Amino acid sequence: MRTRTEPKYSAGECKAATRYLRELFGSIAIYIALLVPSVTYGPAMEAGPLKTLALICPIVGFLLMIWAVARQVGRMDEYQRVVMLETFALAAAVTAAVTFTYGFMENAGYPRMTMFAVWGVMGSAWLVIGLFRRWKMDR
Amino acid sequence: MNNTIRELRAERGWSQAYLADQLAVSRQTVNAIETGRYDPSLPLAFAIAQLFDKTIETIFTP
Repeated sequence: MRTRTEPKYSAGECKAATRYLRELFGSIAIYIALLVPSVTYGPAMEAGPLKTLALICPIVGFLLMIWAVARQVGRMDEYQRVVMLETFALAAAVTAAVTFTYGFMENAGYPRMTMFAVWGVMGSAWLVIGLFRRWKMDR
Repeated sequence: MNNTIRELRAERGWSQAYLADQLAVSRQTVNAIETGRYDPSLPLAFAIAQLFDKTIETIFTP
């Protein structure tokens, strides 16, 4: 078991985390910077390739986010990748259970929900399972 | 699989974080290996053996 005086993270981990957060939040900033003018001016533009380009340009920020995540996965070690895969698999199973259940409830008259909710469920499940597993490992 | 990493690390006065940096892995990974929750890959086992100047079989036992 880890002693109290030991640091929780190694220097390499701290460096990797800093780099990841910088890349991720940088890409989110770019996404927002492109999204705001896109949704403000895009819909009023005349139909055509320029309008399409204006409406889809925030995807650049999203691609950068994917790139940041891919780089972070590349920086992970073998054990972290195993833990991530297990957590992801559990989160996917939880998401399937929740969305299927709600799908059947919709058939019974419950209000229809947007597809955007799926990622919310998936992200929440991932976070909760990840935190729980981290708590168990650190005990 | 059992291992003597905790003892070898204690002999040298190394923290888990220090060992993690030497092996280019996370502290969490070192902790998981020490507690037997995770068996390292062959390349990582070789790196551990090399770092402690031991053979793999003297560190890891079934």
